[in-house]
Amino acid sequence: MAMTQVEKDLVQEQAADTSYDVYEIFVQASDLDPHVHVGSVLAPSPEWALQLARENFLRRAEAVNVWAVRREDVHATPADPDWFAREFDRKYRDVSGYADNARRWKRFKAQAMNIDDVIADVRKE
Amino acid sequence: MPEARMEAFMARIQRGEKVEAHDWMPEDYRLLLLRLIHMHAVSEIMGAYPEKEWVPKAPTLRRKMSLMAKVQDEIGHGQLLLRVAEDLAAPLGRNRIELMDDVITGRIKFHNVFHMEAPTWADAGIIGWLVDGAAIITQTALLDCSYAPYARVLKRICAEESFHMQHGESIILSLAEGESWQREMLQDALNRWWEAIMFFFGPPIVTDAARRMMEYRIRSRTNEELRQKFLTRYVPRIRSIGLEIPDSAIRFDEDAGLWRYTEPDWERWSRVVRDNTGPKSQERVALRRMAHQDQAWVREALVRARTAAAI
Amino acid sequence: MAREGDMQALDPIIGELALQLGDEELFLGHRDSEWLGLAPEVEEDVAFASMAQDEVRHAAFWYELAEASGFGQADALAFDRAATERRHAALCARPNGDWAHTVLRHYVYDAWDAVRLAALAESGGALWAQGARRMLREEHYHHLHMEKWVVDLGRAGGEAAARLRAAFEALLPDLPDLAAFAVDPKALVDLGILSRPLAELRRAFVARMAPTLTKAGLPVQDVEAILLAHPREGARPVAHHEDAAALLATMNGVRSLGAAVW
Repeated sequence: MAMTQVEKDLVQEQAADTSYDVYEIFVQASDLDPHVHVGSVLAPSPEWALQLARENFLRRAEAVNVWAVRREDVHATPADPDWFAREFDRKYRDVSGYADNARRWKRFKAQAMNIDDVIADVRKE
Repeated sequence: MPEARMEAFMARIQRGEKVEAHDWMPEDYRLLLLRLIHMHAVSEIMGAYPEKEWVPKAPTLRRKMSLMAKVQDEIGHGQLLLRVAEDLAAPLGRNRIELMDDVITGRIKFHNVFHMEAPTWADAGIIGWLVDGAAIITQTALLDCSYAPYARVLKRICAEESFHMQHGESIILSLAEGESWQREMLQDALNRWWEAIMFFFGPPIVTDAARRMMEYRIRSRTNEELRQKFLTRYVPRIRSIGLEIPDSAIRFDEDAGLWRYTEPDWERWSRVVRDNTGPKSQERVALRRMAHQDQAWVREALVRARTAAAI
Repeated sequence: MAREGDMQALDPIIGELALQLGDEELFLGHRDSEWLGLAPEVEEDVAFASMAQDEVRHAAFWYELAEASGFGQADALAFDRAATERRHAALCARPNGDWAHTVLRHYVYDAWDAVRLAALAESGGALWAQGARRMLREEHYHHLHMEKWVVDLGRAGGEAAARLRAAFEALLPDLPDLAAFAVDPKALVDLGILSRPLAELRRAFVARMAPTLTKAGLPVQDVEAILLAHPREGARPVAHHEDAAALLATMNGVRSLGAAVW
């Protein structure tokens, strides 16, 4: 028996309605860490996704926060390696581009600085 | 044009690049992977049953908790792997419910070892030590798989398996250090499991599917290479705790640089896996039916509750 | 208020309470663990298995406390005491029903446990109070999880709501003994181990469940009525031991083989 388009749509809608959604799970390990993607769960709602994510992904690891994001709401870059193309060096914006500073400071009988020293110094009581 | 796409795909694989779920892939690659990962997922879940039988009987509070945690991890691995299989199956119009139905209808197979009985606590120990040990070897051999979602999940699984290794060894060591009847129990269990474990790695011949999987860099080791690695690691340890390997032919052939062993009955074990005719096959498939089909009302209820909450 | 240490360690009433709490957590955790591999959906299987482990871990804590009071070694207390010596509420040892029965039983047990733990957390025994506070924190997730199950099954209507209702009817007669103690609660208050009298704990129990049961379409007034009808002011009657005997026969399947280190 042939179905009309309306019937077909209805069947499809009902089928979609009885299945769970995929939620992508992101875990924040500590307050100073960003949320990191760890995997996904099938769940009927965002609340359930969070409930289920806890034991499916945090049986051992510690965390301070979890995000559950419906997969449809994740926008990803295309699978095109050229999207990330970076052919020429950008040493001018890197520490490694300034390796000569240390040698030049020596001439002035002074030491080059680095950020770790500054942080340690500022933190020091 | 399709040929050029195939060539570009193979070139990527050869360069050691990884494939993602939404990348174009040959149908053959998708189907091989799906079968492999679907079976892996289902085996993790079916593998919970023989050990689960021993959770209610575990002899101390610590053993009760650790065996529970171990079985829970296996089901968790099943979840991770199912999600990867589901994403591969989605373009074929198949979802979680159908992938689970396949276990019940017998369309998807699970590992031979999980069709067997585990009649004593020592069997739980042997599963944790040697069956898991064998599974760890086959899984680590897949860590470099060209399909990135599988490789990522395996990384997580292997990290948890390190606990399983210790857990299995701990049970075995207690039995080996224990009373003479405990050691006998352990030897009996080893006798029961040895041939099944030898079969677990698969036949030494490289099948057409195995060859294609190697070309696609889904896997890189043959069944025989993995069985040899297992024997090298475990035979000395099994002997060190005073157990005898129930195979008089087992020995290391120095000249050939490999282990000689009695081949398992390939025919018989293949039938067990293919037709679900092992001693516990039907009972365990029935447990899965109970979990999956008999509780469809729960799944439907949560979807209806979602709709009720939205109104 | 009781002094720490010497007198508590020696008081048999307190030891009995530790055994009661241990038996209840162990039996419920054991029943929970029977769901391994059988829960609806693998994700829930994993989540529920954590609760089973937590219950057994909590049981271990109470048995260790009893051990510290000279009652015997914790594993022996957990495994080797006969069904007739157990101090649990009958509800904890009942065989598993369907999923609706499982989540509702867990929900009511957790609700009572939370009320009881809150009272122990204010107790004069430092070890008791500290243990109770840690358990309360872990029970928070259990509570949220089970509450969601109960409310969603109720809200779903149809078969799920009917099953939930049947579970409610089946569990109701066990509630007066759940919301009670194996030892006289007045003695616990006198010893400073329990900060509030039983009647007050029972009111808190009902108040805690009322919004959830109402959302799930279950009659909270039936709970109130049955608790009033069975006040259980002294030590509650010992639970019928058939369920515990069957459970223990399974649990000792390996230990009964002989004295050994496992």
